Amino acid sequence: GINGILQPLESTISDAERFKLSKHLYLNCKCGSHFKFGGIVSSNDYQMTFNGIQCKKCMNQLNTLNVTSQLEQRIRSFISKYYQGIVICDDSTCGMITKQISVYGKRCLSNGCKGVMRYQYSDKELYNQLLYFDSLFDVEKNKNQSLRPLYESEDVTKPQELIKGQIDALSEQNRDNFNVCKSIVQKYLSDCGRRYVDLGSMFDFMQK
Amino acid sequence: PKKYQFRTMRTKILETADILDEQIDSFTKIIQQHYQIPSSDFNNPSIISQSEIITVGRIIPDNPQVESIQLNSSSLALETSRTLGIGKRIPLDLSNLTDYSLFPGQIVALRGKNASGDFFKINEILEIPYLGSPVSTNDELTTYYENLENDLKILCINGPYTSSKDLDFTYLENFVTKVNNEIQPHVVIMFGPFIDISHPLVSSGNLDIESPTGKKIQTLDDIFKFLVSPILKKINNKIQIILIPSLKDSISKHAAYPQDSYDKKQLQLSSTKNIKNFPNPSIFQINEILIGVSNNDIFKDLKDINKGSPAGENRFDRISNHIIQQRRFYPSFPGSKSQRKITSSNDDEDEFEFLPSSELDVPYLGLSEFNDVLPDILIIPSELRFFARVVKNTLVINPGVFMRPNSSGTLAQITIEKPKIDELTKINEDGEDLYLHDIWKRARVDIIKS
Repeated sequence: GINGILQPLESTISDAERFKLSKHLYLNCKCGSHFKFGGIVSSNDYQMTFNGIQCKKCMNQLNTLNVTSQLEQRIRSFISKYYQGIVICDDSTCGMITKQISVYGKRCLSNGCKGVMRYQYSDKELYNQLLYFDSLFDVEKNKNQSLRPLYESEDVTKPQELIKGQIDALSEQNRDNFNVCKSIVQKYLSDCGRRYVDLGSMFDFMQK
Repeated sequence: PKKYQFRTMRTKILETADILDEQIDSFTKIIQQHYQIPSSDFNNPSIISQSEIITVGRIIPDNPQVESIQLNSSSLALETSRTLGIGKRIPLDLSNLTDYSLFPGQIVALRGKNASGDFFKINEILEIPYLGSPVSTNDELTTYYENLENDLKILCINGPYTSSKDLDFTYLENFVTKVNNEIQPHVVIMFGPFIDISHPLVSSGNLDIESPTGKKIQTLDDIFKFLVSPILKKINNKIQIILIPSLKDSISKHAAYPQDSYDKKQLQLSSTKNIKNFPNPSIFQINEILIGVSNNDIFKDLKDINKGSPAGENRFDRISNHIIQQRRFYPSFPGSKSQRKITSSNDDEDEFEFLPSSELDVPYLGLSEFNDVLPDILIIPSELRFFARVVKNTLVINPGVFMRPNSSGTLAQITIEKPKIDELTKINEDGEDLYLHDIWKRARVDIIKS
């Protein structure tokens, strides 16, 4: 853990918990409808068919290129956000937020503040965001319904859940489409430094 | 090149700080050597002193939190390195200066005094010395001369290659015919974006494209593979093509600057020997000519505060001069920002979406520095109006965009006379005769309609 506090292994946390703070994947339909996509789950805005995602407003089917291009644009938007390089002071009484970085990096730029600066949009948050998008198109996770839910449990507008047999059939039928979408996320995950453990810096202490 | 293959999305703040510190220290050395100033004359500008001192640092805004507010002559400060001033920042008083052009991120050497402890009053800005120009030997130049039948012709083309209303590459296709039959250049340098990730159609949900061969187009990469690659392959294979990626390109997974080259295999261009993929930025040689290219819009992003003679200069000249003096393709820091409002969603989520801008991966910015010489030609595409100018004997070119949002755009055609030894400037170094390339005297740049 960051502060020496033991934390559970990331891989043992449920997706609902792990991706709680990730942003949703929004999709636009050519009819102008703009909705959250949460995988093969029930939604008031879209439904899954054997041929992909269907907008409930106009009953139009979004083709694969439509979904992958919007997914890719959304991913790139988060990467651009990350590279804004905004840093924030961890001292809650200070509140310094800036794009300036001192030659000491972690030193806060407000006079006399002893706080530590860190990137506001962290690489961990970005990595989790990519993993969240990856989970949406993961056939096994869809089948097991282990995805992060689209609606809060107390939300009264929450639609009735899909039945297991239906989910299984839809998952299989959409496997190819989903794999194409997943490949978009994987394209960026393959370049993501957080995915690779930096052995050099982990064992730095041994060289000293 | 391997150095550009670093993994993105993992910037460490301490590594960022190291680079920012090194930039100041390396210029301190350059200034010291050039002006032959003893290192004891360099001092910390943030502490009170009775006498004039010399100092080196980075121009920054005096308030770290302002970003959107326009800076002015009374809102600048200087950041010192760890060695020179333990990283202290001190507001600057410019009132003694008659001529200046300063911008955030710029490394400067100053002579002045901090009399009260509150600010450093500048008496003089010490010019950073210019890098030398590349040179060649008689033998090299003779070979280049003999190998060329005619003058050397290079085209520079900058994306986007479609209008903002469609992803139709017909314009590019027609242009390729013109390249093959009429222009017949030796080299074509093509800058991305080929498929702009911020293209309106990419987000509208109204994208339906068919490939001419009936291949199913499922991703943006497919659009390149099935629509763009075949067009590039039509370019006569005697013409060298150099592709430089853009931070806006959907086909590049390396969405950070410095940016790794396109993956030839991914683009389905493996079979083409005349197509080369270079990183962004890069410096390469065509015959004797050293060309530096960078696809990050410094002409748009660098905003200086100026007075006196620099204010009377052409803005592109001023920025080119800064690039040349700072010895790196993107001397601004922090980088730029671009965002747009997303379709209103009736919940609490993010209202804005970020668009590709400068994506600086600061720990790797060393890769965006010139080495020990100044390129003969600098090509830095910009959204701003096309231009070709000679600055400090360097030819600086912005070819404009191939397609504007609603119409065709421009590109640059560079024609360079064959190197005639007796017309070049001869210099003698360590007993050997070497020649400056004098490209600025031999080149002609035509901005042509796409």
